[in-house]
Amino acid sequence: MHNHSVMSDDSRAKVENYCQWVHKRGVPIDGFVLSEHRKFDFESDYRSLEDEYGLRILKAAEVETDYGHVLVYGVNEDMYAAFDFSAIRLSLAEVVNEVARCGGIAVPCHPGRTRVGMLAHVRDRGPVEGVEVIETLNGGSRGTENDEAGGLAQEYGYRGIGGSDAHIVSHIGRCATRFADPIETVEDLVEALRGGDYQAIHTTGTEGER
Amino acid sequence: MSARRYEDVEFGEDLPEVLPDVGMVNVKRFCHATGMLAARFMDHEAAKQEQLPGAIVPGIMSQGLLVAAIHTWAPGCVVHFVDTVFRAPLLVDSHPICRAVVTDKDDDTRRIEIDLTIVNEAGETRVMGTAKVEL
Amino acid sequence: MAIGVDELRSRYVGMVFDSVEVQALRDEMVGFASACGETEPCYIDPDHEDFQAPVNFTTKYHGARMLPDDFPEFDRRAMIDAGKAITWHRPIRAGETLTARSQIYDIYEKTGRSGVMLFLVHRMEFTNEGGELTSVVDWRLILRGGLS
Repeated sequence: MHNHSVMSDDSRAKVENYCQWVHKRGVPIDGFVLSEHRKFDFESDYRSLEDEYGLRILKAAEVETDYGHVLVYGVNEDMYAAFDFSAIRLSLAEVVNEVARCGGIAVPCHPGRTRVGMLAHVRDRGPVEGVEVIETLNGGSRGTENDEAGGLAQEYGYRGIGGSDAHIVSHIGRCATRFADPIETVEDLVEALRGGDYQAIHTTGTEGER
Repeated sequence: MSARRYEDVEFGEDLPEVLPDVGMVNVKRFCHATGMLAARFMDHEAAKQEQLPGAIVPGIMSQGLLVAAIHTWAPGCVVHFVDTVFRAPLLVDSHPICRAVVTDKDDDTRRIEIDLTIVNEAGETRVMGTAKVEL
Repeated sequence: MAIGVDELRSRYVGMVFDSVEVQALRDEMVGFASACGETEPCYIDPDHEDFQAPVNFTTKYHGARMLPDDFPEFDRRAMIDAGKAITWHRPIRAGETLTARSQIYDIYEKTGRSGVMLFLVHRMEFTNEGGELTSVVDWRLILRGGLS
C-alpha cells in the first residue's frame, strides 16, 4: 500500500526488482501500490510485469500536508488538477475533501512519526473531519510509532492499513493490508478502503522486529 | 577481476553479515585519517551537548563500512557507485550490523545492484543505500 | 522564506562556484580503508602493486567554499548531512593531486522528521593530473526549516 520507486527522489528501487524480490523471497502479497513522493506517475505501464510475476501493481501518491504525509488512492486527472501534489504545505482538510470529491480516498501515513505523522498534530489542533483510514502499520516506523498509530486509530475509530514504506528493493512487503475481497483495480482498492473489510498485517516485520 | 563470478551470484543472495568496529578507538582513527575532527564524532559528552544521544559515527565511515563488506564478499570486484542515506545517527561504541543483499543483475553490463543497510541493536535501520558493482 | 525554492534553483543549480586542489596522501588512504574494515590489499597495503584510495575516499574532501558566495544567509547549525553518493571512475594513486570542482547540483524542498527541509545537493567532481575524471560525489545537505 506504500512503496517508492526510482520515480521518487529518495528511492533507487526499480519496479521490476520489487517484483523479482516478491517472487524470489516468497513475500506473501498479491500486489503492491507505488506511492511516489509529491507526484503521481501517469506514464508508467506495469501490465507486462503484472503478467510476468502474477502481481497486481497499482499507483497512488504520497503528498505532504500540515498534518503530515498522506497517501492518496484513486488519483485521476481531476484530482491532479484540484491541488498541487508537489507542494509541501497542503491542508489535510482540503486534501481529504478534494480527494473524496474526485472519487479517491486520502490516508494519513506513519501517523506516529515526528512532524510528518498526524498524531502530534491531532494532539495540538484536534482531528480533521473526513479522515476515515490511517496507516497503522508502517515498515519504516521506529520504536513505539506504530503502537501510537494504533492507539490513535482506536481513539478516533479510524480503520487501519499496513504499508512497507519501501525505498529499497529488499524492504517491500514488510507490512501489508489483507483485504477480504480481491483487488484488481484502483477503483476496487478505493471501494474496499471505504468499505472497511481489511486489516493491517506484519509480513517480514517492521523496523526493530527482525 | 573478482573472485566471485557474475554467473554464480543469484538475485536475492544475502551477503554475509558484518559486525563493524565502531568503537571509539577505531572511529578516532578514521577521524584522524580524514581530518573530521569534530567533537561530536570523538567525544560522547561533547556530542550530548549538541543534543545527540552520544558520539556519532561519521556518515562517510558508515559508507566505507558497507563498501568494505562488499569487498569482503567479492574480493577484486569494482564498486562503481554507492549511495547511502544517513537516516538516523549511528552511535560510536554501539554494536551495529551491516547487511547487504543482491537486488538486481544486469546481464548486459554484468553488473549487480546491492541493497545496503546498517541496523542498530534494536534492529532499526540507521544507514540505508545501494551499490552498483562489477564482478 | 525570504526566497523561494524556484528562484534558488534558477539562480544556483548548475553553478560551478569553487575549485581546489587536494593531494591524496598514502597514510590517509590506508587509515581510511583500515578503519572501515577493508580487507583488500590494494587499499590497505601501500606496497601493493595496485595500491589505491578506497572507493569513497573523495567523500572526505571539502572545497574552499561550501556554497556560492552570494547564497542567502542561514544558520549553519541547522544543517544536517543526509547522505552521500559516489560514482567511482578510476583509481586514485598515493600522492596524486586532484582538482575538485564544486557545483550546486539540485535544490528541492520536502518535509520529514525534522519538519520543513530544504535539500541542497552539492556535487564535487574530481579529476587527476591528466584531466581524467576519478570520481563524482553528490552530498545531500538538509537545511532544517529551510531559509527563514
